[in-house]
Amino acid sequence: MIERWNRDQVLALAPDASSKKAAQGVSSPGKWSGCGVTADAVWGECKGSGSKPYRACVDLSEPAYRCNCPSRKFPCKHALGLLLLWSADGVPAAEEPADWVAEWLEGRRGRAAKAAEAGTARAARAAEPGPADGRRAAQREQRVTAGLSDLERWLADQVRQGIAKSRRHDQWDELVKRLIDAQAPGVAGSLSRLGAALDGDDWPARLLSEYALLHLLCVAHRSLPLRVGGGSEVRSGALDDEAVRGEAAPVGLLEKVRDRIGFPMTKEEVLSRGTVRDLWDVLGRRDEEHDRLIARRVWLRGRATGRAALVLSFAPVGQALDASLVTGTTIDADLAFYPGSAPLRAVVAARHDTARHDTARHDTARHDTVRRDPAHRDPAHDDLAHRDPGRHGDVRDGPAPHDVARDRGAMAGPPPGLTVEQALDEVAEALAGDPWLDSWPLVLEGVTPAGSGSRLLAGPSGGLPLHPSAGTPWRLVATSGGHPLTVAAEWTPRGLRPLTTWDEEGRVIVL
Amino acid sequence: MSTSAEWEDLVSTALVGTDRRPLPGQEASEVELLGRAAVHTLRMRAGRRPVAAGEPSAVAAPEEQPAVSRAAGERLSRILGGEQPRLLTEWLETAAARGYRLSPHLLPELLDHAAKDRSIRPHLGVLAGNRGRWLAGLNPAWAFLLEEVTGAATTGSDEVSEIWEFGTFGDRRVHLGALRATDPARARELLAAGWEKETAEDRAAFLEVLVTGLSPDDEPFLEAALDDRRREVRNQAADLLTRLPGSRLALRMAERVARYVTVSGGEIHVTPPVACDSTMERDGIRAKPPRGTGERSWWLQQAVARTPLGVWPRLLGRPPRDLVRMKIVDWGRELMAGWVRASVIQGDPEWALELFAWDPLADLLAALPRDKQEIVAADFVRRHGLDGQLIMVLGGAAAPWGPVLATAVLQKIIDVSGTQPWNLGELARLAGERVDPTLHDMAGRLSPEPPIQEVAALLRFRDDMLKELR
Repeated sequence: MIERWNRDQVLALAPDASSKKAAQGVSSPGKWSGCGVTADAVWGECKGSGSKPYRACVDLSEPAYRCNCPSRKFPCKHALGLLLLWSADGVPAAEEPADWVAEWLEGRRGRAAKAAEAGTARAARAAEPGPADGRRAAQREQRVTAGLSDLERWLADQVRQGIAKSRRHDQWDELVKRLIDAQAPGVAGSLSRLGAALDGDDWPARLLSEYALLHLLCVAHRSLPLRVGGGSEVRSGALDDEAVRGEAAPVGLLEKVRDRIGFPMTKEEVLSRGTVRDLWDVLGRRDEEHDRLIARRVWLRGRATGRAALVLSFAPVGQALDASLVTGTTIDADLAFYPGSAPLRAVVAARHDTARHDTARHDTARHDTVRRDPAHRDPAHDDLAHRDPGRHGDVRDGPAPHDVARDRGAMAGPPPGLTVEQALDEVAEALAGDPWLDSWPLVLEGVTPAGSGSRLLAGPSGGLPLHPSAGTPWRLVATSGGHPLTVAAEWTPRGLRPLTTWDEEGRVIVL
Repeated sequence: MSTSAEWEDLVSTALVGTDRRPLPGQEASEVELLGRAAVHTLRMRAGRRPVAAGEPSAVAAPEEQPAVSRAAGERLSRILGGEQPRLLTEWLETAAARGYRLSPHLLPELLDHAAKDRSIRPHLGVLAGNRGRWLAGLNPAWAFLLEEVTGAATTGSDEVSEIWEFGTFGDRRVHLGALRATDPARARELLAAGWEKETAEDRAAFLEVLVTGLSPDDEPFLEAALDDRRREVRNQAADLLTRLPGSRLALRMAERVARYVTVSGGEIHVTPPVACDSTMERDGIRAKPPRGTGERSWWLQQAVARTPLGVWPRLLGRPPRDLVRMKIVDWGRELMAGWVRASVIQGDPEWALELFAWDPLADLLAALPRDKQEIVAADFVRRHGLDGQLIMVLGGAAAPWGPVLATAVLQKIIDVSGTQPWNLGELARLAGERVDPTLHDMAGRLSPEPPIQEVAALLRFRDDMLKELR
C-alpha cells in the first residue's frame, strides 16, 4: 500500500494558488460519494453544480489524473480535493477499483505502452539525420558563432569602458534579442537574468563574475572543436569518444558548452543515450515565472548512485505543470540525463512504481506492457539497468544496489545525506565539470540552523550560508529546535536555498 | 597579493574600465581581465570552506506534554490552509484544554497568526510546548508567548509558590484560578499579600478571577479595592460587590435607588439623581456620560445596574415578572436598561428571562442556565424571522447546541432556503459551528437541501476534529 501523502505534498501538486483554495473547498467528505482507494488508485464522485457528479480518479503510481469536469486546470480541483480527502484518511480502502476507474487505468496504461514504443521509434529515427538536417545545423553553427563573437566583443567593450554605469536593468535587452536571433537561447537566457546580479552592495563583483563566465563560454565555444570529423556532423549526440580524443578535448565539456549555449536536444535524443535506474528521492521543487512561462524545477537524488538530477518542465501561466514528482516520495525510475560533464538535467524515462510491487493481483502480463522500457539500452551508460528482463520492476528481487537502497525505507524518513565537507567537495567537482553551474541539489545530514538569524546550516566543522533571500528559515528552525537534522537544499553560488527537511518522526516537512 | 585582494583589484579596475586603468604589461587588458575574473569566480565558488558557526545556540528543552496525533496535526494544517478557517479557535481551544502540544513545524505559522490575533494566544501558550517558547526567545515578534499560560501551570502543581512568584502572567492567573476553585480564602489572601506590587492591569485581571467562589468573606478586600488608583480595578471591584447582596456597596445602592424609584397607583415613578457625588463615584458610577446621553439618565442607569436585583421586589412590592410589565411614567427606557445591565452583571436567570421577553439580547440569553437557554432560544428562533437580530441572539446561546435548539435552527434554514436562500450564509455557518457535532447524522438526514447538507458536513468535520483531539 502506498503511504498516504500528507497535505503539503498534495497541495504542492496544485497548478496555482487559486486551485489550492478551490481544492480545499471540495475536500470535505460530504462532497464525495462512491470513493475508494486501492494500492495504486484513488477515485470518487464529486457533486458539482450540474445534475451528474464529476468522476475524478488519480493513478497514484505516476501520479496521473482524470476528471470529467470541464476545468482547464490540471490537475483540477476535484482531483486535488480527492487527494486531500485521501490524505486526511477520508477514503475507504477498496478491493478492486470501480468499473469506470479500471477502464480508465487500463486504457491509460495501454496508451503509455504505445507512446513508449512510438518514442523508441522516434528516437531511432532521430539518430539518423537527413541531408536537410545537416544544412540547417550548419547554418545554425554559423549564426551561433556570429552571435557569440558579438557578445564577446560587447563584454570586452563593457570592461574597457568600465561597468560603473552598468546598474541598469534594460541594458541587455538589445543583446538578448541579438542572441535569440543567433539561435543561442541558452546564452540569451543567462543574459536576461543578469538583473538579479544588480541587487545589493556587492553588485559590481557579482556582475563582473557573470560577465567573466559569459566570456568564458564564448572562449570555450571558439576554442573547442565543434566539428568532429570535419564534415557537417555537428549534433553532439553523435560525437563519439574516439573522434574527440583525437582533438584532445573532453567530450563532456564540449557537450556542456553546447548545452549552455542552447543547442537544442530533443527528448528522444536524450532518451537514446541510455538511462540510469535508481531509487530517486524527490527532494523538492521550485516554480519560477519568466516571460509568462512557468518553469518547474524538481530536484532528485539517487539512493544507490548518489547522483543528483534536475527535472525541468514548462507551462504557460495558469496551465498545468507536470505534477508527477511528489516532494518527499521516493520513486524507482530510469532517468535519462542530458549530455555533458557534471550532468544534472534529466528526464524520467520510465517508472517502476513501487506502489504496484506489493499487490499480488497485478498479473505479470500487465507489468510487462506497462514497464516496457522506452529508451535504447546502451550497457555502457546503463550500469544500473535491471539485468533480468523477465522480472524487471520487482525491486525486491532486483540487483543488489536496490536491495541496499530499499532497506533504508523507500517512503519513510530522510534520504541519506552528506556532511558539509562532502557537500562542498561534490559542488567543487560539479563546478569542475560545469563552470557555469548555478544550482545543485544537496542532502545535508546532521546539520543545525545556526548563526545570527539562523542563516547558516552548520555541521560539526562549520556551516554553509543560506541564500540572502531565504531570510530566517523559521519552519526549519522550529523543526530543529537546535538539534541536528537532515536538510535537502539547493546549492547556489550565493548560498543554500532550503527545500525540505524531515522531523524526528520522519515526516516530510516542505520548507 | 592575496587572492581576495587580487579579486578586489579586478573589480575596481572593471568598474572604472581598462581604458582608464589598463592592467600593467597587458596588450588586451579587457580580455585578460575577464579571463582572470572567470578563474577567480570559479576559485571562490569551488574553493569555499565551511564558515565558522560560532557558539552553538541553546537547544530547546525536551517536551513534557504529549504531541497531537498526526491526523489532528494534518487537520490543523488544513484549517490554516483555508479549509474551515473559522474553526481554528475551536481546534486550538480543544487541543489546549487537553494539554497537547503542536508539531514544531506548525509553530511559526501559528505564532504569526497569534501575533495578529490576541484571542488565540492563551491556547497557544499551552500548545506551543517548550519548543514554542524556545522559538519565541529567538524572534521578538513572538515574545508575547512568554507571557502566556504554559502547559506547566495546568499540569504540575508541586511548585505552587514558584509559579505565583516567578511565573508568566498567564500562569499566575491560572494558578490563582485553580487555588480559588479549591480554597477561595487562601487565593484571596495570596492576592492581597502582594496586592500593592502588582501592576494596575494585573490587579484588574486578578480581581476577575475572584468571581469563582465569591462570598461575603471577600467583601472587605473588595470594598478596599474601591479606593484603588485605577478605574478598571475600581469597576471590577464594584461589579463583584454588586453580586454580593449583603455588601456595603449593595446597601448603599439600595438606599440610593429607593430615593429614585417609587410605585404609586400601579405605576412606577422615577426621579433620577440630580448630581453625582464622590461617594457615588467611589461605588463605580461614572460622572461623565458618553456622548449623546444625558447626565441624569446616565447616573440612573448605572445606579440601577449596580443595585442587587433582589432589592426591587422588596422596594416596589412586586415580583420581577410584574415589574418589567408595569407602566413606567418617565425614564422607563433608562430603568429597563439598568435592569438589563444588572441581570447580565449579576447573572440573575429569573430577571434575565423576564427581560429577554421585553428585549431579546444575547447577553440576557447567556445569563440563563443551559437547559433554559436552549428552550428560550429555540422558541425565539421559531417565532422570529431570519435577520441580524436572530443571528445576534443566537450568538448568546452557548455551544454545543443540543437537539432542541439544533432542530429549531435547522428547520429555520429549511424554511428560509425556499424563500431567500441568499440570506442563509451566516445562520448556516453559526449552526455548523455551534450545534453539537455528534448530531451530524441527524442533521444530514433532515433534508437533502444543500444548506442543510453543508451544515451536516461542517458538523462531521468538527466531530472528526474533536475525536482526533481526544
